Amino acid sequence: MIEVSSLSRHYTMGPTVVKAVDDISFTIQSGEFVAIVGPSGSGKTSLMNILGCLDSPTAGSYQLAGEETSKLKKDQLAEIRSRRIGFVFQSFNLLPRESALENVELPMIYQGVSRKTRRERALAMLKKVGLDGREGHLPSELSGGQRQRVAIARALAGEPSILLADEPTGALDTKTGIEIMELFHTLHRDGATLILVTHDPKVARQAHRVIQVQDGRILADVPAGEWQL
Amino acid sequence: MTSSALYENVRMSLRSIRANKVRAFLTALGVMIGTGAVIAMLALGAGAQKSVESSLESLGSNLLLLYSGQPKGGSLVRRSTTNIVPTITEADVEAIKALGPELVALTAPESSASGQAKFGNTSMTVTIVGTDIDYPSIRNIRPVAGDFFLTSDVDSRKAVVVIGAQLYDDLFGGTGDPVGQKLRLNGLSYRVAGMMERKGNTTTDSSVFIPISTYQRYISGAKEFALVNIQAGNSDQMREAQSAIESTLLRLHKIPNMDAADFYVANQLDLLDTLQGVAGTFTLLLGGIAAISLIVGGIGIMNIMLVSVTERTREIGVRMALGAKTNDIIAQFMTEAIILSVGGGLIGVAIGVGSSYAFSLWGGLASTVEPFSVALSFGFSLVIGLVFGGYPAYRASQLDPIEALRYE
Repeated sequence: MIEVSSLSRHYTMGPTVVKAVDDISFTIQSGEFVAIVGPSGSGKTSLMNILGCLDSPTAGSYQLAGEETSKLKKDQLAEIRSRRIGFVFQSFNLLPRESALENVELPMIYQGVSRKTRRERALAMLKKVGLDGREGHLPSELSGGQRQRVAIARALAGEPSILLADEPTGALDTKTGIEIMELFHTLHRDGATLILVTHDPKVARQAHRVIQVQDGRILADVPAGEWQL
Repeated sequence: MTSSALYENVRMSLRSIRANKVRAFLTALGVMIGTGAVIAMLALGAGAQKSVESSLESLGSNLLLLYSGQPKGGSLVRRSTTNIVPTITEADVEAIKALGPELVALTAPESSASGQAKFGNTSMTVTIVGTDIDYPSIRNIRPVAGDFFLTSDVDSRKAVVVIGAQLYDDLFGGTGDPVGQKLRLNGLSYRVAGMMERKGNTTTDSSVFIPISTYQRYISGAKEFALVNIQAGNSDQMREAQSAIESTLLRLHKIPNMDAADFYVANQLDLLDTLQGVAGTFTLLLGGIAAISLIVGGIGIMNIMLVSVTERTREIGVRMALGAKTNDIIAQFMTEAIILSVGGGLIGVAIGVGSSYAFSLWGGLASTVEPFSVALSFGFSLVIGLVFGGYPAYRASQLDPIEALRYE
C-alpha cells in the first residue's frame, strides 16, 4: 500500500540545512496498523505531512497504492488526498458551523459524490462510529470523544486507502482516549489501513507495528510486541 | 464546478453570512448604496433629458427664432424680449417670407412688454405679446376656448386679446366662459377672443396675446419687432433656412458679417443639442459620482473577505486536507463575495427605483428609471463581486495546507 524509499525532507534555514526526514525507507501493507512514534522534533510530523500528501519530499520516492506522489503538483496532491487519505487530527478540526452530518459529508463534496449518496454514506459512517442520532448536532454540542468520532467518520467517508491519525487521543481524557483507540481497533479488524502518529509510547504500543523515528531517521521498525524504548 | 458543488458553495456561504449578519449587512450596504445611487442618479439625468426634449418640442416644430440684438456667443437659450430694442422691420419679415416655402413655411413677428391687466376688480402685471395669426401654428399651441385672433383683427388693429391659461385662473378665478368678456390692458378695453391651452410654461401661460398691429399702435409705438418666430419648411433644412435668413438680413441691414449683426437666429436644433449636452453631462457627473460609491462598496467587500479568509485560515487548511483543490477554495470564497455584492445590488436596485419614484412624487424632480440603468448597475455590482472577491479568494487558495492547519 505504501512504499517509501530513500525519502528525505530537508529545510534550508539560512546557512543550515535541517534534515527533518533523512533517507527513510519502509513499506506498509494494506490492512496494517502502524504507529509512527517519536518525541517532538524527531521528524515524525514532517514524515506524516508527506505520507498525507500535504507536503512533497525533497528527495526519494513515495508510492501510495501504486502511484508515485513525490513529484506531484499542488492540485494533484489534493486529488490524492481526496481519493486516498483520511485525516484524523488531534484537535478534531471539525467545521464549527456545520452539523456532524455535514462535516462527514465534506470530503465527499470534493470527490463530487451526489448529494443523495453523500447523505446515505455519511449517515452510515456516523452509525459506524456509534453516533447515530447525533447527525444534526453542531460540534459545540458534542463532547470531545464524540467530536473525535465525527472526525473519524469524516476521515472514513471518502473511502480512503489509508487513515492517518495525528495524536488522535492527545486532546482527550484517558477514558475517552481508550474508547477512541477501541474504535481504531474495530476499524482495523474491518480491514482499514491505519497509521497513527504519536509521541506517546503507551498509545504506540496499541498498534501492531511501531516505527520509531529520531532525528529524521528510523530508529526501530518492529512489531509492537517486540518494541522497547 | 458541478451543480452539486455550486449548491454546497451557496449553502456554506449563506451559513457563513448568517453567522456574521451585521458584518455582512454593513458590507453589502456599500454596494446597496452604490447601486441605488447609480440608478437614482441616472434616472434623474434621464428625467432631465426627457423634460428638456419635451419642453423644446412644446415650443414648436422646425422652429427658428430671429432675435433683435447682438448675437452673444453660444447663448441660444430663449431670452426675454421685453427689454430689447427691436431692430427687425416689416420689410425684413417680407424678405424672409420671400425665401420661399421650402425654407420658410410660416412667420410670426412678436414683440412683448409688461403691462397691467384688469378684469373686474382684479388687476395684475402680465406680459403683453403682440404677434401674428400664425403664432399658434409655429409655437404649437392651440386655443381651448374661442379662437386665436384673425387676419381681419390684425389688419384693422382690433382691440382683441387671447389670454394664457394661467391668467384665466388668476384674473377670471378659473370659472365662467372668458370669451367675449372685456379685459383692460394698460387702461384700454379689449374683447377676449379666446384662451390658449396650458403649456406648463410660465411665460406663455401668463401672457396675453394681441394683434401685432394693435401692439405697435397702443403698447410700443415702435414699428420694429423684437423677435420673429419662424417655421422652417422641413426639419432637414433648418440650418439652410438659418443661413439664408442671416444672409438676407445682413444684406438688408447692410452689415458685413454676423459678428457685427444687430440680430441673430436661434435654431431649435442647436438649442436641443446644447440642452441635451448639458443634461448628458449632468447625468454623467451624477452617475460617475454614484459609480465611485459603488467601487468603494466593492473595496468594502474585498476588505471584509480578506478578514474572513484570515479568520478561516484553519478551516481552509482542513478543507485542503480533505481534498479541496485550488478551484474549490476559490469558488467557495467567490461565491460568498458574489452573494454579498449581488444581494446588495438587488436591494440597491429596489432602493434606486424606489428613490427615483420618491424624487418625482415628492421632490418634484423629473426622473425616469430606464431598464438599461438597472441592468448596468446590477451588472456592475456583479462585476464588483467578481473583481473584489477574486483577490481574497485567490489568497485563500494559495495557502499552504500545513501552515493553515497549524494556524490558531
